[in-house]
Amino acid sequence: MGEVIVVTSGKGGVGKTTTTANLGTGFALQGKKVVLVDADIGLRNLDVVMGLENRIVYDLVDVTEGNCRLKQALIRDKRFENLYLLPAAQTRDKNAVNPEQMKQLTAELVQEFDIVLIDCPAGIEQGFKNAIAGADRAIIVTTPEVSAVRDADRIIGLLESAGKHDPQLIVNRIRPHMVKKGDMMDIDDINEILAIKLLGIIPEDEYIVVSTNRGEPAVSNPVSLAGEAYKNIVRRLLGEEVPLMTLKEEDGFFHRLKKLFKL
Amino acid sequence: MRECVVFKGSRHGLQLVIDSSVDFDVILTHLRSKLESAIDFFTEGAKIKAPATLTDRQLQDLSSLLEGFGLRFETEETLPPVVPTAQAEWEEADSGQELVVSRTIRGGQEIIYSGAVVVNGDVNPGGEVIAGGNVTINGTCRGIVHAGAYGDKNATITAKRLLAAQIRIAGLIARAPDNLALPEQAEMAYIEAGKVIIAPARLN
Repeated sequence: MGEVIVVTSGKGGVGKTTTTANLGTGFALQGKKVVLVDADIGLRNLDVVMGLENRIVYDLVDVTEGNCRLKQALIRDKRFENLYLLPAAQTRDKNAVNPEQMKQLTAELVQEFDIVLIDCPAGIEQGFKNAIAGADRAIIVTTPEVSAVRDADRIIGLLESAGKHDPQLIVNRIRPHMVKKGDMMDIDDINEILAIKLLGIIPEDEYIVVSTNRGEPAVSNPVSLAGEAYKNIVRRLLGEEVPLMTLKEEDGFFHRLKKLFKL
Repeated sequence: MRECVVFKGSRHGLQLVIDSSVDFDVILTHLRSKLESAIDFFTEGAKIKAPATLTDRQLQDLSSLLEGFGLRFETEETLPPVVPTAQAEWEEADSGQELVVSRTIRGGQEIIYSGAVVVNGDVNPGGEVIAGGNVTINGTCRGIVHAGAYGDKNATITAKRLLAAQIRIAGLIARAPDNLALPEQAEMAYIEAGKVIIAPARLN
């Protein structure tokens, strides 16, 4: 029996889909059998980020409505044998599925897979209720902005009232030089308000845009700093003790040279 | 305790419901204490309708009492008297009772309680605590807190770190300054001479 994890945020545009794609790929890299479920019905994106858009025949709504079998709707990733995607329907809306159906679906998936990763839509409406219905645990994604942290707080409250306790936090798109200058909330500020377990921090990384556009998750790229951070998070989720990455601003050639020689 | 005097809101104003089995003098005392404890709740000039079963003498007593509180009084003629039944019984919490909440009140969550409220945790932005009595927060308060919500001007708000955007005590509302410094110790808010005062406090 595997585990169902929902990736959620409240606010849109903080990196839920990127996080889902990268964590999923990261789990697959660790040899886990993974399925990514896109619960954002009507605005599917996960397939694009994974580079699997052109393989979609059936989707999540087809499964819940009985138009196809679950196996038929699962798309195997092009790079990893043990990574699958269950895409969202594009032409329908979030009311096409109810929480009971999602529960059933995840219960079925969890028999087959080690990790079921659900990409939650932004907002707190029906789509959110669907996405969290079958989840065992939740990962909250936020960026270091007041609005994102507020929405994350609201989401934690809603998860609690849905009986899902102890969500974990990923802080995305940290810019070390802005944090240092005091222009951006730092981890302590965010922790102060949300007070939940920190799973990891992801630095702002231009490569994420490249990888998203190419449909190749950054986690499989060895030079991406964000990819590295996602890899660490996957290891933490699997129970390993990995220290948080120290995010230093790039402070010039000399410093890097010193670091290179471990001075 | 079963209430012998109950106010019911309707579209036309407030309807006074009186338990006819209780002695009229008792009713008057109850009504007086009720009005005194919650005078802020009733806007001045609010229309009050009374049941038609009362005698003229009783009506006169009633109207003079209500007018003393700035309330307009009307005799009810059409509606039959409503006697509170066991189902409609209305339990009011003792002011001595308190509600202890041992978690963080997050954005979008609200705690409403007729007595005092103690929060063992933070009140985050967007969270609300509304209490009839005092509010004590053993943590950081960033949300909205309303103490003495039913008009108790002696109610206080105490927090380990009082960073609330807004605090309300009885009918008074105080807004935080735009640049709020991090308080170094627990603070308490209370009403003094018609103003909300914030002073260092001790939390125990």
